[in-house]
Amino acid sequence: MNTLTRRLAAFPLVLLGVSSLVFMAIRLVPGDAITAMLGTEAGLLTPAQKQALAAYFGLDRPWIVQYGRWLWALLHGDLGISVTYGKPVLGVILARFPLTLELAVLSLLIALAIGVPAGVYAATRAEKGADLAVRVGAMIGQSTPSFVFGLLLIYLLSAGFGVLPAMGTFAPLWVDPLANLGQMILPALTLGAAFAASLTRIARSAMLDVLSEDYVRTARARGVPARQVIWRHALPNALIPVVTLSGIEFGYLLGGAVIVEQIYALPGLGRMVLDAILQRDYALVQGTVLFIAFNFMLVNLLVDLAYYGLDPRIRGRG
Amino acid sequence: MAFLRAIFRHPSGRIGAAIVLAYLALAGLGALGLTPHDPLVQHRLDRLHPPSATYWLGTDLFGRDITSRLMQGIGQSFRVAFLSVAVAAGIGTVLGLAAAWFGRIWDGALMRAMDILLAFPAILLAMLIVAVMGPGTQTSVLAIAFVYMPIFTRVVRGPALSLKTRNFVDAARSFGSSTVYILTRHLLLNIVAPLTVQVTLALAWALLTEAGLSFLGLGTQPPAPSLGVMLSDSRNLMETAPWLMIAPGLTIMGGILGFNLLGDALRDILDPKTRGRA
Amino acid sequence: MTRHLNGLSSLALAALLVAPALAPAQAATLKMAWSQDATGLDPQKQTAFSSIRLLELIYEPLVRLDAKLNVVPAIAKSWEFSADGLSLTFHLDPKAAFSDGAPVTSADVKASFQRLLDEKTGAAARSNYTSIAAIDTPDAQTVVFRLSQPDVPILAALAGVNAAVLPAAAIADGSVGTKAIGSGPFMLASWDPNAREVLTANPHWAGGKTGVDEIDISVLPDETGILAALRAGQIDLALLNDPLVATLVPKEQGLTLVRTPSISYNVLQLNPARKPMTELKVRQAISCAIDRKAVLDTAALGEGQVTGPITVPAYATDPAKLFCYTPDLAKAKALMKDAGYPDGFSATVIAATGEPATAEAEAQVMQAELKQIGIKLDIKMMELNVYVDAWLKGDFDMAVALNGGRPDPYTMYNRYFTKTGNLLKVSNYTDDTLDSLLNEARVTTDPAKRKDLFAQFDTHLAEVSPWIWLFTPYTYVAERANVQGFVPTPTGSLYGLSAVTLK
Repeated sequence: MNTLTRRLAAFPLVLLGVSSLVFMAIRLVPGDAITAMLGTEAGLLTPAQKQALAAYFGLDRPWIVQYGRWLWALLHGDLGISVTYGKPVLGVILARFPLTLELAVLSLLIALAIGVPAGVYAATRAEKGADLAVRVGAMIGQSTPSFVFGLLLIYLLSAGFGVLPAMGTFAPLWVDPLANLGQMILPALTLGAAFAASLTRIARSAMLDVLSEDYVRTARARGVPARQVIWRHALPNALIPVVTLSGIEFGYLLGGAVIVEQIYALPGLGRMVLDAILQRDYALVQGTVLFIAFNFMLVNLLVDLAYYGLDPRIRGRG
Repeated sequence: MAFLRAIFRHPSGRIGAAIVLAYLALAGLGALGLTPHDPLVQHRLDRLHPPSATYWLGTDLFGRDITSRLMQGIGQSFRVAFLSVAVAAGIGTVLGLAAAWFGRIWDGALMRAMDILLAFPAILLAMLIVAVMGPGTQTSVLAIAFVYMPIFTRVVRGPALSLKTRNFVDAARSFGSSTVYILTRHLLLNIVAPLTVQVTLALAWALLTEAGLSFLGLGTQPPAPSLGVMLSDSRNLMETAPWLMIAPGLTIMGGILGFNLLGDALRDILDPKTRGRA
Repeated sequence: MTRHLNGLSSLALAALLVAPALAPAQAATLKMAWSQDATGLDPQKQTAFSSIRLLELIYEPLVRLDAKLNVVPAIAKSWEFSADGLSLTFHLDPKAAFSDGAPVTSADVKASFQRLLDEKTGAAARSNYTSIAAIDTPDAQTVVFRLSQPDVPILAALAGVNAAVLPAAAIADGSVGTKAIGSGPFMLASWDPNAREVLTANPHWAGGKTGVDEIDISVLPDETGILAALRAGQIDLALLNDPLVATLVPKEQGLTLVRTPSISYNVLQLNPARKPMTELKVRQAISCAIDRKAVLDTAALGEGQVTGPITVPAYATDPAKLFCYTPDLAKAKALMKDAGYPDGFSATVIAATGEPATAEAEAQVMQAELKQIGIKLDIKMMELNVYVDAWLKGDFDMAVALNGGRPDPYTMYNRYFTKTGNLLKVSNYTDDTLDSLLNEARVTTDPAKRKDLFAQFDTHLAEVSPWIWLFTPYTYVAERANVQGFVPTPTGSLYGLSAVTLK
């Protein structure tokens, strides 16, 4: 597979690009680990103290030297030490990643299970009552900010019924599956609802497109049953935009869902990277962004491979 | 003119256009200062006043009239949403077409550059832009545009890649059409459907993201209202004064409904394959 | 064990939701939540309030402050100043021991202060202890601080976890920031930053047995989430910052809100180095135009108390007696005219997003008020660190701030308003009166005389108005009915948790 090897070869280059961009960006934003730790008290430091802390946080060298050292360590599989956690960055990331992965998968499943059938159904009933109902439903799902949806859910459950998924104390899937799903179901629904809404719209639109194609019309004219036309002939071709969007959204979700993690107090990657940025934990920000980028590209690679699988015409040319 | 007539003939286009026009009218009145109250004046004695004859949609923590703030907020939010989506769609589409058309190394380079942007945490990006430009409207616009641009690129590139291989492009090429002509005429026309849907999605998304940015103090600066700011400011008052969340929440929903319906209609009208069907 | 669910109990979803609550409950575990976590474990280096309140449960200083801000014994059971005020002797509690069982000795105290004073440590609090010239340890239970000059405020300054006593062994092997071995009521069993920490009772604590065996703290970043978790009975005790959320607690059955007036203060810092805030009359006009009570009532729902510069009750002046604490628009306009700005001017005010929760609202109320005398304020909200960076550089026209209070006004304001203050480039204001009053109070031992000096300082500072002091906020602790015996302090210390029991 020529394309695959080419894409894989590009991986290190993209990661290098991401790393240098993040490296610069986080340092261009005012404030550093010292002000993050001390706040306004940082003003009480003597020059010698400042120097000592800068050395402690590794901020005392020119950027280029810091970057060089970081890259060199990276080549040896070392992402550095997080100053907030006092632990190697990779370990910190891997401890948080399972939750994020699980949340992303659950949301994707929810979104696909709702979005694709709803979109296809709406397309086959274009401009009729059912279509309108689906579209309005999708619109509501799409236009409700996740923090509003989440806060309302939490409020209704806690004030109305006195129950709530456990907040803060997170039970990993392999330790306590029931408790874990109890905690994940609301966040997954919150994310999945908005995701499903976008998928519905994309699926509907793509389906409408395909249904008007010659080969679909031909199939219909030939007397192929409507159901078969839709699911066998039309849907596979309508899936390209659906797969594109799912890939992008899934890739995003693998980077963590900041607001949802915040509201449901889930210790995922999104909150971690936000906290790392706010605390100017440079090594952790760099490592996490690199990790997120890697996952993102992997998902995209799979999406592109899916194109080739889905659309024989691309395959023919490739 | 025929185009406008087509929109109004289209069932969902009619509703969508009506909503968007109504919002634009409200925003216009807001911009002209024709609001029931001054949206910035704090009525100290009427703080957190529920909806009433004087304050149709109630007042906020400062005793400012929600109706008036909504009218101005629509204008601010639309400005941010339109500008950012225009920037994102414009650049994103050009890059996506370029990637699909030129293929090979161009495709690889462009898409990997987009990967870099996509993998970049949006918050960090926004903070960086703020650090360079200071907080405010342009910052929101740029931050939202940069986050969404790679999505346009991918959305355009996918179908373009598949269309490029079809016979009619080959046919056009064999007739000696210029590259630019083929790109604009055929490819662009054929990706207009996914693109318009994506634009309406993006507008909806931009309206919401503006709220997220204001959480971090990176969006519209107080006391100017925007729908997102009003919504995010209402979160800790959700129980005390629910009208603070309901009014901007429903306004955002209505606006997004309008965009989406209009977008669907545009898609039907502009798409050559479905033209004349609806 | 099963919870009743208003007829929903049969639903699978409900079963899933309740499942986590069925985990075996340990009777003596206090479940807590807060929205901001500690940023590190080194008690001498951490200055953020979110870190201090955790570390105060693990480490102990020589002395601590009680609920009335009196200095009371901690590791030291007694202490005395020499007659010349040049030495301060502490007698250690022989029972004091670190959580690993080792007794706290004068050698530990000496090593701790040497570390604190060593510039290589990078402890910002060092500036409070620079008068310590030498430390003698005549025996294992006695420590004598030799001072370079009389320093009355140093005693109160020692009553903070930044002056915690660390094991000399931990200092020697460099494990202070990682292992967290202290002599406080609890020990750190686990810490997952920004997510969760578990504290267990320190069996060697000199104070005896703690009321609970374990404290399980969750970091719930959203305060409405904390309220929901309290309602659902998932947590027993929580810290809240936002008055908008805290004021909902008393409306809830089974929940109590403990409000404590804090000694920190919300303030509008003017920058007297920038025109036209260089003009005394302009600053005074701003002071007269701002209705402090209105700022408090609107931005913080009235949750707090209007304050002058000095916030500690023992030294504070009645705000009504301070310059222009009754708003006077006519006077403000006249002052503006006299200063040469009859039509006002434009300026930018910076504020940190969510820090404090009321900052943005305060800025908006003051913006509306200053508009009345022609001052056009632009509000710039900033992420906290960006704000701190600008603040430290003095790069602002005006800044909305929540500054920490100290039990002794000298320690609190020396940094800003004496001629040698290390934050002079932030305050950009000092004069002979402020400088001499503070320096005199530093060496004065007579309490009545100190009180008088601080009253003069308070009145003068409010009159020259480099800053516009607004109000002291409340610190909030929300607790369920099963929590008993929590005593809060004006410094926001959670040391009172050592006595808390669960019913």
